Amino acid sequence: MTGRRVVRAVVFVALFVYALISLYPFLWMISGAFKSRSEILEGGFLPRAFTLDTLTQTWGRLHFFDYFLNSLKVTGLTVLGVLVVYSLASYAFAVLDFPGRRILFWFFVALLFVPGITMLLPVVILEKQLGVLGTHIGLVLPFVNGTAPLTVLLLTNAYGSIPRELREAARSDGASEGRIFWSVYLPLARPAHVTVAVLTAVPTWNEYVLTRVSISDPSRYTLPLGLESLISSEVPRYNEVMAASLIIVIPVIVLFLFLQRYFVNGLVGAIKG
Amino acid sequence: MSSLALKDRPGRLRKDPSGGRSPRRWPGWLTGWAFVFPAVALFAVMGVYTIGSGLALSFAKWNGFTPTWNWAGVQNYLDLLYADPVLAPELRRAGWNTLQVMVAVPLLTVVIALPLAVALNSVRRLRGVLRSVYFLPYVTTGVAIYFAWRYVLEPDGAINTLLRSLGLGTLSQPQGFLGNPSTALPTLILVLVWSSVPVATLLYLSGLQAIDPNLFEAAQIDGAAPRHVLRRVIWPLLRPITAAIVLLGVRDTLHGFQIFLVMTNGGPGGHTDVLALMAYRLSFFKGLAQTLGLASALGWLLFAGAVLLTLVNARMLRRVH
Repeated sequence: MTGRRVVRAVVFVALFVYALISLYPFLWMISGAFKSRSEILEGGFLPRAFTLDTLTQTWGRLHFFDYFLNSLKVTGLTVLGVLVVYSLASYAFAVLDFPGRRILFWFFVALLFVPGITMLLPVVILEKQLGVLGTHIGLVLPFVNGTAPLTVLLLTNAYGSIPRELREAARSDGASEGRIFWSVYLPLARPAHVTVAVLTAVPTWNEYVLTRVSISDPSRYTLPLGLESLISSEVPRYNEVMAASLIIVIPVIVLFLFLQRYFVNGLVGAIKG
Repeated sequence: MSSLALKDRPGRLRKDPSGGRSPRRWPGWLTGWAFVFPAVALFAVMGVYTIGSGLALSFAKWNGFTPTWNWAGVQNYLDLLYADPVLAPELRRAGWNTLQVMVAVPLLTVVIALPLAVALNSVRRLRGVLRSVYFLPYVTTGVAIYFAWRYVLEPDGAINTLLRSLGLGTLSQPQGFLGNPSTALPTLILVLVWSSVPVATLLYLSGLQAIDPNLFEAAQIDGAAPRHVLRRVIWPLLRPITAAIVLLGVRDTLHGFQIFLVMTNGGPGGHTDVLALMAYRLSFFKGLAQTLGLASALGWLLFAGAVLLTLVNARMLRRVH
């Protein structure tokens, strides 16, 4: 049985090596965030003079608290918008009957194939005309619309798998359509809603391209733009950049650790349909 | 994400979802439309209008500032494809880079993720922890992590230091991995693989857990070597998942360019330029030059490419089944 033991050892070593590769940039991010400006240019992994100054200064001096609030606002509004707009629409797609239902559903799903870059320029032009370019609402609207395909797929699927008998029972008790939606479907599909919220929040939190071309007022910057403004100076101070990166990444990691199964189920569900 | 799901979706949309008809205060179709109204309204403004105007713009010349567009017919498309002496070669180079990424990333992702999932599936201890660790790169994909990669890839960065201390100094890159024209694109490909392995591993893992364990036992009793089990049992059963991973990879390559924008902005000397990045440049960084129509046209060429590749992929997928 030694052969098997060797195989097991090899498997474990391989798994640990990949775990290290997975964590590699994070480890350096953490190491860099705790280094001083003079030490960041030297190689070592462990900071010799461990300092919290970089982190606190980046947070304070570089307006990271404001950027953090902006990011929170944009992400929060986007998640809220997505949940309200597409839970209603998906409910209609899943259980109601109305002319155009099938075509509309496919229309939303087909959006999946339109590359973001194809929409980017027209969205910017339109928002300029509407006067919302450069505002947070100007970010939220396209972000919400952009999640349509995935969200509609996930929620229509979730509502469709709730037993029809529940709906019929509620109806024979005299419940209105809105009441059935609110009191039967929304609570029963809660896991799917969490999944949608999580799968919307993470890319929105990290969004950079549309934000960069539309937001010009530094007081409206979100975290990724704040991070970029650090590096646009000629010699990037990598200790500050890593501290800022850590500030951006930590909320997402915390969210992930708490809601892990919703990430996992959501992704598997979305792809297997 | 879920292109695959399109395939069997119609079954979910039942013909007559409301079951029997019962008297209602207002007609049923009105209820349905009331529920979809917000989504449709948003889509009409942010989707239909922008798609329409974008398509129209691809047939015009405009710099974003003059009040009118100058109609140009299909000239933008011709310029991009062959007519313009500057744009056409630029497009070809960006296209070639895109193609390399599109082939290499899904391939390497599968090559790493499948054995990783098999290994992960074979251990009981630490499986949960390892799965979380493997999943982190997906969750944090974005500007922050790209900057961290830039940091470790710098000339004096961690990777060069690591290579030197391992006695592999010849592999280190004095200009930094992103500064050397011949290593820049392969390096970006590896970073992309790093960020796409998590989802692929997760999908393979869920696929493996769905396989009947008796199959493995039967193979073992028959004396099959592990690599034969992998090739003859696991690989064929996981083919649909492999197809999904490839499809996702191809789609992401055509759509995504954030990593290229943040890490190299196409450099050095255009060696990491990709199509979406080129469209981005034409859209926002050409000042008063009339390039917005070209940008739109390139966007639609990308869209056409995405649809075409999806159809080809879907066909291959069907043949596999």
